[in-house]
Amino acid sequence: MSYIDGSSMKESKSLDLYDIQGNVCKGYGRYGFPKARYCFLSFQHTHSAREFLALLIEKITTAETWPVSESSDHHRIKPNSTLNLGFTYSGLKKLGLPERSLKGFPVDFTMGMKARSEILGDTGISAPEHWDDIWQQDNVHAWVAINARDQDAIEFEFNALGDLVTQHPDGVRIMSGIKGPNNTILPYQDASAVFENGLPTAKEHFGFTDGIGNPYFEGCGNSMSRLPGRGKLMRDGSWQPLATGEFVLGHVDEAQEYPPAPEPKLLSRNGTYMVYRKLHENVDTFNGYIDNLAKDFDGSRDLLMAKMSGRWPDNGAPLTLAATDEEKETLDAKMASIELRVSEGDKSALIERKELRRQWVDFTFNDDKSGSRCPVGAHIRRTNTRGSLETEHKAFHRPGALVDRRRLMRRGLPYGGIDEAKSDSAEQGIIFMSIGASIERQFEFVQQQWVNYSNDFKLGNDKDPLIGSHDGKLTDKHIIQGCPIKGAKPPFFCTQMPRFVETRGGDYFFIPSISALRMIAEGLIDPS
Amino acid sequence: MANTSGNAYGLTALCPIINGHTNDSNPLYKAAGESHDKEVRRILQALPLNQESPFANTDNTYLARLFILNDVFFQQGNDFKRDQLKSKYLCFNSNFHGELEPYLTSLWNNNENQVREIWQHCVAFESVSNANDFVRYIKSCQLTTTLFFNGSNDQPVAEQLKALYVKQMFSEFVLTQQGKSAAELKQAFKYFLQRVQLNDVKSPSWKPGQTEVTL
Repeated sequence: MSYIDGSSMKESKSLDLYDIQGNVCKGYGRYGFPKARYCFLSFQHTHSAREFLALLIEKITTAETWPVSESSDHHRIKPNSTLNLGFTYSGLKKLGLPERSLKGFPVDFTMGMKARSEILGDTGISAPEHWDDIWQQDNVHAWVAINARDQDAIEFEFNALGDLVTQHPDGVRIMSGIKGPNNTILPYQDASAVFENGLPTAKEHFGFTDGIGNPYFEGCGNSMSRLPGRGKLMRDGSWQPLATGEFVLGHVDEAQEYPPAPEPKLLSRNGTYMVYRKLHENVDTFNGYIDNLAKDFDGSRDLLMAKMSGRWPDNGAPLTLAATDEEKETLDAKMASIELRVSEGDKSALIERKELRRQWVDFTFNDDKSGSRCPVGAHIRRTNTRGSLETEHKAFHRPGALVDRRRLMRRGLPYGGIDEAKSDSAEQGIIFMSIGASIERQFEFVQQQWVNYSNDFKLGNDKDPLIGSHDGKLTDKHIIQGCPIKGAKPPFFCTQMPRFVETRGGDYFFIPSISALRMIAEGLIDPS
Repeated sequence: MANTSGNAYGLTALCPIINGHTNDSNPLYKAAGESHDKEVRRILQALPLNQESPFANTDNTYLARLFILNDVFFQQGNDFKRDQLKSKYLCFNSNFHGELEPYLTSLWNNNENQVREIWQHCVAFESVSNANDFVRYIKSCQLTTTLFFNGSNDQPVAEQLKALYVKQMFSEFVLTQQGKSAAELKQAFKYFLQRVQLNDVKSPSWKPGQTEVTL
């Protein structure tokens, strides 16, 4: 396989980043803004709600890169907090969008997530009747997200939002009904990176390193060095940015078309959709299951976890890079020696580290068709299939043609796990947020066909070992493929998998551009 | 073009439905009069599903479908002449294993009442009074096509169902026996072989049209 040198490439497309809301093109990141608070608004009288909106728009942070300081180190001047906004379909209705514009929204969005629960596998304990109280009503109209450097900045910005809401008692209210820690019911959902030794990490509460392979699209403004492994895989093994229209409306997508979007074009251009899901993690159940299975598994507990996710829990290294405990030890030793040289000021070690870290995302499953390294049903192989679904030589125009139209831009953070002991009943999990131009084609497809079904992987009815809607039946299983080489390991079967992750709420949101927000606030949306 | 592919047969028959009112219409609709095609549609829409379907009861059906062709659709263009069908058609598609004659004979022999109920509304069906007549009738309505259902492996249905059954039972065996000693495995496998009866294609097995797995 050959790789392009990302740093030498130039981006051909530039987007109007001042018009696109922040966190769409580039994630705010767990390191810069490790804390977040999400709250949900209900609109009452249209006129007053629009007045409120007009004032709120001034606080919204856009996708534009932070300004550079004039001081000698030229650091980026980041605000203490950010604010973003999205609407449900009923929210847009309440804000008085014309009928013709409303009718232009796709059915997935207009129905909302609750009505799509069968498609999503939100059944049984994950069914909408078990969701947090806020979702039992049908008047969630808007989502407001505050991301911040620390909790003080969150409180400050949230209070400012509260003041603005108080000034518009006829227009808007912040809804309560979100389950918080220690059986509290709160008017907001807090989320935070998991901290270790006082520093934010990329961990979630099962102990996996998460959020590594987000897609790279044309115009996103990220460094081209991040392209390999994140863009679309070309026939020669190189990577190109995905089409902008896969993630931002009003731009051409991978089918060389403009994504379907409501009129007028100014309403949809530079906007996008976001899936918001509160995914509760049953930490006790997960740990108990792994502990129990690890007794019979030929390998370490970490290896067993890696064989479920596709990445090593401690540092997120993919199984393609190290597929056994021995290989992992070698990789760790190599990394440690590079780190040591870096700390001693060895500049060539910096390049070596970058090269090694690149392989965390820049890989395919081409040399592992049988899944003896990364199991075919592992979480990362389902949710980002890379080129692995092209089972016949050159069956598609590009090896990853199927996945290129089904990439998920994840923007979530873990929640809970701080204020109470970790257990199944304690509040902890992931606020999953996924951005894309089509909820149905991207998120819903991945959830229905790749997470909760396995026909494309020739694994029958098997589901994603971590997030699949399992029920503890014998055949609720995950297969860890053996190694076909003589004398190697037989396959290992994880059976009777319980539901590790439960859905506790969420909805589909439209994230308008700044131009569209202003027009909505001023009642200027006119599709005629 | 050929109606066969390997051991699979792709049958397409277009049986013209009698125009006009039925003589013996459903009493509920008698006042308004009832057309033959509406009567057929009502029967088709009420056909039982899955294991109760007449096709589950006909040997070797891979996939079968009955529908009514109301008319042909006008495709875009500036044609002066637009074709129209002289009658509606009962379309019968079936993909099955083996030869046409035994298949149609099995359909008739196992479901004579339902076949008569459906096809009585078709032109000239009054001449059909036994399996041979039915075979002759369908053949006279048959089109040569290459319409095949790509989801079968060319084997008789009973063998395919048995293979599926054994595969699923073997999965269960593997899942329950993981980690056992060689002696325990040998013993369990012996019991497994007794239980699934590899050489008996009929039993135990899944039934045609069965949708629920009962392990």
